[in-house]
Amino acid sequence: MTSINGNQMQVRSERQVINLPFSRDSDWKTFLPKKLKVLKKGYLEIHCQDWVLNCRDLLYLKNFFENAGITITTIRSYISETIVSASALGFETDLILEKFTKSSSSLTKESANKNHPTGLSFHQGTLRSGEHLEVEGDVLLLGDVNPGAQISAAGNVMVWGRILGIAHAGKSGKTSAKISALQLRPVQLRIANKVARGPEEKPEEGLAEEALIVADKIVINPLKPCFQKT
Amino acid sequence: MAKETRIILICSGKGGVGKTTLTANLGIALARQGVPTAVLDADFGLRNLDLLLGLENRIVYTAQEVLEENCRLDQALVKHKQEPNLALLPAGNPRMLDWLKPDDMKRIVSMLSELFEYVLIDCPAGVEDGFKNAVAAAKEAIVVTNPEISAVRDADRVIGLLNTQGIKPVQLVLNRVRPKMMATQEMLSVEDVTDILALPLLGLVLEDEQVIVSTNRGEPLTLSSSNSPAARCYSNVAQRLQGDDIPIIDPSKEGSGMRDKLKRLMQTKIF
Repeated sequence: MTSINGNQMQVRSERQVINLPFSRDSDWKTFLPKKLKVLKKGYLEIHCQDWVLNCRDLLYLKNFFENAGITITTIRSYISETIVSASALGFETDLILEKFTKSSSSLTKESANKNHPTGLSFHQGTLRSGEHLEVEGDVLLLGDVNPGAQISAAGNVMVWGRILGIAHAGKSGKTSAKISALQLRPVQLRIANKVARGPEEKPEEGLAEEALIVADKIVINPLKPCFQKT
Repeated sequence: MAKETRIILICSGKGGVGKTTLTANLGIALARQGVPTAVLDADFGLRNLDLLLGLENRIVYTAQEVLEENCRLDQALVKHKQEPNLALLPAGNPRMLDWLKPDDMKRIVSMLSELFEYVLIDCPAGVEDGFKNAVAAAKEAIVVTNPEISAVRDADRVIGLLNTQGIKPVQLVLNRVRPKMMATQEMLSVEDVTDILALPLLGLVLEDEQVIVSTNRGEPLTLSSSNSPAARCYSNVAQRLQGDDIPIIDPSKEGSGMRDKLKRLMQTKIF
């Protein structure tokens, strides 16, 4: 599944696909000019493999191809950071969830351990009352969780917005899962099999917070300035 | 028709927040501005838009008979007595509860849109079949809510459903606003509501006893040149719907002026 073969390219003739080289093989910036010669004007889908690309890198890619009359439509990647940057820039994105192993000589896919899901899922838009977003893995929501709505994930729950409804992290039992949000004023928080009611008093505004299990209880702390992978 | 017909769903989720009252008043207000308007009562199980408009005794046919080709559309349309620009079409008969389907609704609305510039659909409460029928034909929507937590919650649910149906734009009317209670924070404020619902505000409607009087009489407030607070609010909403730039009233300033105080004193009945 790592390479997209030529037949598929022809099926959607208006949209071309290129794969960046794997990071251990060569640098993607030196690879681009070679590839440009074979591409026609039109739309392009880029598979970024295991590159961690930030917004600046992606803008570089965008400008590079736009100068040649090619518009990037979709960014695919194994890396969630790249996908985050790409969606922030408004590209269509596709996170390939199958675990990419760096020991590439054996491209055996690691059996995804259900208690330690690694994929990150995205959702853009506010969850309104009655809606329930459920994800196997980590979830990043750009928007609010309104009262009456629920968000749950087997991994961490991250909300770029307010949690005013119910959030459940580690729904299949992962007790190290965390819930983080720009504003945490939930009706209820659940981590693994622990349940807590939301705080009665209004928290200070403008402080991102996270909820996690400390000594068998769910506690809310100010969010650490950097996101640490657990 | 030169202009494309605007097909607007008026819905709320919760019952009793003022969908039907808004539909009736908005319909009359638009008709008074000279716009051919149809109001379609999609709440056929518990229909009462005809009561509010004072047209109950004139209904002979419903949309159902039109679809079955037992009568022509113009026979089923009930023209308003004083405002000939406004016509009412009841979707169905309370006795027949399960005949209507989303496709029927689309057909009847497309027939109406050939004759009118505005079609206002009065949606039933709830999010079940009646709502789904009503949504099927609509292009845009007005969500009515009250500054109460339950009404806001239901409105939020409805907005989510409207978004999945691709209805755009969805605008908000906040009904039964009591400026005094908002000032003392006993009631959700306008900001509290718009903060959760995240919709453009089409208008506020002030709490007004005259609404009850007009409902019982079957004469919507906007019909007379009544200067009651709610009547003004309703005509503002109608004008804003037409694209006029009219400022939304500020509840904190409402009723504090000398003239308003005097007017309230005159309206108070002392026995």
